[in-house]
Amino acid sequence: MGVLDKRKKKRDPGEIPMASTSDVAFLLLIFFIVMPMKADEIGLSLVLPGKETKENTVKVKQSNVATIKISYNNVITFDKQPMPLAQLEQAIRDRLLANSKTVIILETHPDADYGMMVACLDEIKLSDARKVSLKTTKI
Amino acid sequence: MDFGRSSRKDPYIPTSSMGDIAFLLLIFFIVTVVFTDESGLVVTLPRADAGEEGLRDMISNVFINSAGMISIDDVIVTAPDVVSIMAQKMQENPFMIVAFKTDKHTPYGVVSDVMESLKEANAIKVFFNTDMEITGQEF
Repeated sequence: MGVLDKRKKKRDPGEIPMASTSDVAFLLLIFFIVMPMKADEIGLSLVLPGKETKENTVKVKQSNVATIKISYNNVITFDKQPMPLAQLEQAIRDRLLANSKTVIILETHPDADYGMMVACLDEIKLSDARKVSLKTTKI
Repeated sequence: MDFGRSSRKDPYIPTSSMGDIAFLLLIFFIVTVVFTDESGLVVTLPRADAGEEGLRDMISNVFINSAGMISIDDVIVTAPDVVSIMAQKMQENPFMIVAFKTDKHTPYGVVSDVMESLKEANAIKVFFNTDMEITGQEF
């Protein structure tokens, strides 16, 4: 009798629970939607003048030019006057109020830090100056 | 008559296909997502308040570390090499924006030389990346 009973017994086939599959899919979906959003680039945009030709060379009156110079030791001057970085935005704003045609020229020494140039460009952007030109001081 | 006995079934939204929809969307996002495989150079970006978001799809990176090494597509190049590389990239995508991922202590002269090469290659839209620390392979 005992032997017959053992033969009748059937093993319960193992089952993988599938109920949470859609939850996993949704989690992966959120991951793939959010991932590209996080990797945005932040920075300051600028359009370079392009190749120098007679057509695209613009002559500007000296009175309409405001020059910011960064020396080799990262000292800033605004129209030959030494100026701390914190006061630069207001100085540009004042200059633009006095003359709206002002073109800002940012002249940086090749040995100056790139970070200082970006800091000055940041102040120029914050002061809403539209006409900006980058210039490199010749050694 | 059986009219009185008929009972209305409660309305319900079938949710059995939710998992299938999630999987389809998941496959779509997995296929379309683009992971950048460019490791670049180790740089500490400068900080800026006027930073704006850049279109990631349009951007081509130029890494410059504090020692003045230039890396494009994980290849160390010199400033004059940038002309031919960027000219080729401009042919593939005329709306390309060149993003400078440059260390804040890099001498500006190196950046200026690269910008001159970009003008030659007619890649005039530039973007100075700010405020994010980027890690990559060390040289």
